[in-house]
Amino acid sequence: MPSLVCSAQASYKKLPGLLELTDSHLQWTRTGDNAPVVKFPYSEAASLSRSKVGAEQVRLKIGLVSNEAGHNFTFTSPQAVALAERDKFEAELTGIIARNRAPPVPGPTTAATTPKARLAGTPVPGANGSAAATPLRPPPPLARPSQSRAQSVASDSRASGTPLSDHPTNDFRLRKKVLLSTPELAQLHRELVMGGHITENEFWEGREHLLLAQAAAESQKRGKPGQLVDPRPQAVDGDVKIVITPQLVHDIFEEFPIVAKAYSDNVPEKLSEAEFWSRYFQSKLFNAHRASIRSSAVQHVVKDDPIFDKYLEKDDDELEPRKLREERVDTFIDLGATFVDHEETGNEKDVTMQAGKQRAVLPLIRKFNEHSTRLLDTALGGPSVKRRRLDTDDERYAQIDLEDLHDDESSAGIILDMQNRQRYFDGRANGTGQPGSDEPRVDFREAMQQAKVSTLGWSANLAQLKIEKKAGDSALISMTQNVQSRLDVKQRKHDIPEALFRQMTTCQTAANEFLRQFWLAIYPPANESQQLSVATPAQKAAKASKMIGYLKKTHEKVDALVVEAQREQVDPARVRVAMKPILDAVDKALGFWQTKNVKTPGAR
Amino acid sequence: MSLPLRLHPVAQQSAQEQYAYMCDLKRTLDATGHCVLEMPSGTGKTVSLLSLIVSYQQFYPTKRKLIYCSRTVPEIEKALSELKRLMDYRKECSETDEEREKEQNFYGIGVTSRKNLCIHPEVSKEKKGKVVDARCRDLTNSAVCTKGRENPGSVELCDWHENLGKLEPGNLIPPGIWTLADVLQYGRDNKICPYFLVRRMMPFVDVIIYSFHYLLDPKVAEQVSKELSKDAIVVFDEAHNIDNVCIESLSIDLTRPMLDSAARSVVKLGDKIEEIKKTDASKLQDEYAKLVEGLQEASSDEDAFVSNPVLPEDLLKEAIPGNIRKAEHFVAFLKRFVEYLKTRMRVLHVVAETPLSFLQHLKDITYIERRPLRFCAERLQSLVRTLELSRIDEFSSLQKVASFATLVATYEKGFLLILEPFETDNATVPNPIFHLTCLDPAIAIKPVFERFSTVVITSGTISPLDMYPKMLQFTPVVQETYSMTLTRNSFLPLVITRGSDQVHISSRFEVRNDPAVVRNFGSILIEYSKIVPDGIVAFFPSYLYMESIVAAWNDMGILNEVWKHKLIFVETPDANETSIALENYRRACDNGRGAVLLSVARGKVSEGIDFDHNYGRAVVMFGVPYQYTESRILKARLEYLRDAYRIRESEFLGFDAMRNAAQCVGRVLRGKTDWGLMVFADKRFARADKRAKLPRWINQYITETASNLSTDMALTVSKQFMRMISQNPNENQTGISLWTLADIEKAQAKQKELALQQEADRRDAAMEVDEDDEYGDGGFDDEALGAINLDV
Repeated sequence: MPSLVCSAQASYKKLPGLLELTDSHLQWTRTGDNAPVVKFPYSEAASLSRSKVGAEQVRLKIGLVSNEAGHNFTFTSPQAVALAERDKFEAELTGIIARNRAPPVPGPTTAATTPKARLAGTPVPGANGSAAATPLRPPPPLARPSQSRAQSVASDSRASGTPLSDHPTNDFRLRKKVLLSTPELAQLHRELVMGGHITENEFWEGREHLLLAQAAAESQKRGKPGQLVDPRPQAVDGDVKIVITPQLVHDIFEEFPIVAKAYSDNVPEKLSEAEFWSRYFQSKLFNAHRASIRSSAVQHVVKDDPIFDKYLEKDDDELEPRKLREERVDTFIDLGATFVDHEETGNEKDVTMQAGKQRAVLPLIRKFNEHSTRLLDTALGGPSVKRRRLDTDDERYAQIDLEDLHDDESSAGIILDMQNRQRYFDGRANGTGQPGSDEPRVDFREAMQQAKVSTLGWSANLAQLKIEKKAGDSALISMTQNVQSRLDVKQRKHDIPEALFRQMTTCQTAANEFLRQFWLAIYPPANESQQLSVATPAQKAAKASKMIGYLKKTHEKVDALVVEAQREQVDPARVRVAMKPILDAVDKALGFWQTKNVKTPGAR
Repeated sequence: MSLPLRLHPVAQQSAQEQYAYMCDLKRTLDATGHCVLEMPSGTGKTVSLLSLIVSYQQFYPTKRKLIYCSRTVPEIEKALSELKRLMDYRKECSETDEEREKEQNFYGIGVTSRKNLCIHPEVSKEKKGKVVDARCRDLTNSAVCTKGRENPGSVELCDWHENLGKLEPGNLIPPGIWTLADVLQYGRDNKICPYFLVRRMMPFVDVIIYSFHYLLDPKVAEQVSKELSKDAIVVFDEAHNIDNVCIESLSIDLTRPMLDSAARSVVKLGDKIEEIKKTDASKLQDEYAKLVEGLQEASSDEDAFVSNPVLPEDLLKEAIPGNIRKAEHFVAFLKRFVEYLKTRMRVLHVVAETPLSFLQHLKDITYIERRPLRFCAERLQSLVRTLELSRIDEFSSLQKVASFATLVATYEKGFLLILEPFETDNATVPNPIFHLTCLDPAIAIKPVFERFSTVVITSGTISPLDMYPKMLQFTPVVQETYSMTLTRNSFLPLVITRGSDQVHISSRFEVRNDPAVVRNFGSILIEYSKIVPDGIVAFFPSYLYMESIVAAWNDMGILNEVWKHKLIFVETPDANETSIALENYRRACDNGRGAVLLSVARGKVSEGIDFDHNYGRAVVMFGVPYQYTESRILKARLEYLRDAYRIRESEFLGFDAMRNAAQCVGRVLRGKTDWGLMVFADKRFARADKRAKLPRWINQYITETASNLSTDMALTVSKQFMRMISQNPNENQTGISLWTLADIEKAQAKQKELALQQEADRRDAAMEVDEDDEYGDGGFDDEALGAINLDV
């Protein structure tokens, strides 16, 4: 039993229960149940929000990495107790989330610890000298950095047969996710696996790709959200306030390194945590950082602040930017080169076409460009490498190339991968190389002649051509009927009762699944590495015969449906027609099974 | 007549419109006339053009030079790369050694400014082109060079320039095609100056690629393009804005700070003259003597500091008038003229007058005559050279004043002087600008048409075609537009006239800042950023509008929505800064993050940058990019067009707006496998007369339903289109839009028949076509090619 950090009475989805924070997980157990309903590791926690201070209900919402909507807990103890409990949880979780968020690079991020986390006494990432906070975390299920997806997947499945099955729980989780996201599959699963017809593993056999896709989707790291960091005041208790969340602090430090610098310079020696933020949000510095041109209007109402004004930079609102990267961009997109290609000529542009006429907008525009670049750099891992000159002509040609003008033939087909290809061709070559080979040589001239002769008098022949009336008519009639029946089907109402229809669908999908399992057991595996578990031939045979057992019952089931249909006053013929294809398929399988067993009686 | 044509390497198949394009081009070349051709963007226009002309050059012994002009440096570089690739292919394909040698000896270079080509470690660091020019001149002009060579170490010289001078003229660089990047690298490797290398190689090369200005702006053309032979083939590619370039090259603005600077320069000149008088009076004496004799001073063009701003034919071939021959007299003359201009600037109301009335007033007040004024620029040039001034970029304002004087005294018609004391109508602080504006684009381009026998004007968007011959005053022998043959509709033009709330959207001045319109424009951007993959480019009609709408969108939270889906990049006033934004935009598109680029029609980005493939899956044109109709210069120009050429104001404005809109949206396509959405967001685009001005290849794909959509409808249509277009085409365009050799032959046979019927007296065009069985193998046999008759 893991040690408990804190716990509280809380309801989840309107059901009363107990919310607990252990040293690795957050879990919620319904009153009376033994196993927790909600349980997730620390590493899943992504965000935290809570009800307002004066609100009637004391709530805490936890967003997850995999599920942004997260979970909502309402603390059900008397208000005062609930508040205290909630604060405790909040403090703990804040620290956890901050750790989750902390970029793996120690150093400047020290400043990024949230003031609240520090107050709460949780260990500070980076401050303890270790490389980020990873050691504190339980190993996250999918955190396999520095390993390409393909690699990890391939090695896993080869090793143990199931994707990622070194974590059985994880595999289970994936299956659950897949089932949740595809209701039809879940239905089938309920039907067959929970109904006890086939085992869980059998069910997933041949469906590994779904799990792999799910795993891949999950292992994709979520990029940073694009929005600008622009804290706006909210009305809280009649006061206009900016609510500082740990996340906001982190974002501000990242977006404006100058604030991080100010923080490390001044806190806690000169200013306290709280003072720092309240002064920052009233300073000119903050107004300069706001993404709005209105900020320049408020400039004059903002008080001077000896501490923060030191960090203030001049507005970047000249036509030329204050700092510009030195190196040139690729000539193909170098606008500056055109600008200096010849002396400026002509009259000045009219007012509307003079760029930067509204100087107040320029810092904003630059902020957009910088912000986008920064996001891009974090995603691509660093600023663009210094553009090397396009040395090879190929690279330049690639840019001016017109794909559609390439010759069609240049697209090579897929090369047939054949064992001993060389030998095969050698053999052929030898065969044809021999004189008097069996292939008759065609004399083209003669063939031409023959063709010409055979087409002689074609017009007369054509004139003599008569189409038999009867056949033509019947063809036409059958076509008309076809069209008519289609129209009929289209126009007819869907009048099979819902319950019966559902039964029919179920019967059909189940039979389908049995068929799939059956053929899977019969045929050799498509691809070794794709196989969930490599079954021995005996196992396969056993499985096949089991499936045959199920399949044999299909006829009975259909008959039952027909009877049912009669009771519901639906034309039983329609049910039969509807089920015909599946019955045919079942018969085929049965027939195959029979002949196979007859042929190889020794196998049994 | 036949021509051995080697198609471009990529064009193993040639598109149908490429073939038609080449036929018409060939017709123009044979007829030695001018032509206007419109070919859809991204169908390989440049390739077709170059491959035909190069084949033509190589086939005929006369070797007509090709002068290929483009708008921007990126486009110049692209054209050079295309040419290089073409020549590689031709070399590969040539059959005999003799032929190969001929291909190998083919020269092609690009010309651009010192700023772009300088590799001197200090000079190239200068930020401004003007300063680079001046500092370069200080190190390389003939006087300094002579001094430096006679007495090494006495003056600073440019090593790169010196090294170049040691080489044999005409053989400065091995033959081949040299892109700008190649030349720079060659210069670095061999420690020679790339700028002078290309300048000095110009007479010896087969293809020169540079920007319009080098041929149209007399100040530059005089120095750079004077010696080009008359039988050269001149091509203006991307020429849809050529009229503007023409006008710009003859227009000048003067401001008060410029006049102040000019006045200071005049004083400096006076001081320098006094100084020279004491030290080396003979110099001034010599100059005076030469001027009396009316001798043009013999000097290389490379030294020229300020060349004459007027066109060659308008230059007076006579001696400089007596009253400005003496240096001090000329300085006094300049002083008086600058003072006069300064007084004119004090006027607080708008003045518009013709050059004649200006000259009259000038004469009344200052007794300055027209004739000396005409020689102003030339006389200043001579004086500067005599005084051996350094850092002449400091004299650039004075240079402008001199150019102004010469222009105003030379041209009576087609020009107007406008004095605007205030920047805007409601400004209170005067900031006077004296515009000398050229109204007639035909003036600047006239010498080009007269001098060169073949001028090709071509672009992707040059509709309506007849507008250009009318504005530029020439008679084309061929005038053609080509539609785009597509096996599937690879682009979808849409006209959004109203938002989802049915409020009409428009960038019309009265409603453009209406919150409903701004919001609806914003929601178009939001919605498209949700559904379109990779890159979206949005164009606004003006910088002013873009800047205000970006601020408004930010405050309305619209951009916050966009941030959720894509990164945002915005064009800024600085070209280099915008280049970097553009580079990052492309990285974001490559990376899959996707981005939105906000920029301005007629702005820096709209010209010469391709947004092909993932760099632009949708282009949104917010509003109709009309010019600012309150502009006095525009008003004057409209009036002139009406009076001189009978082009109605509204017709011109509509034409101008639509060509720019088409130019913006046209950048989204490159090649037929590319696809993109073209969104025109303004209710005025729905009007048939507006759409009729779009190029045919765009207009033909605007369906009746797609011409009047609300935002939500447009989104549905767009989604449908994207789903359809994202299917693997697996198509074979051969036979429909792409032609193999056999198809071309078929078409030729058909054409030939027609031609024979129509014109019996025409030269017997039927050439013996060799029986050759090797057609089908995809390779181009030379003999077979030789036998193709491209003549209609």
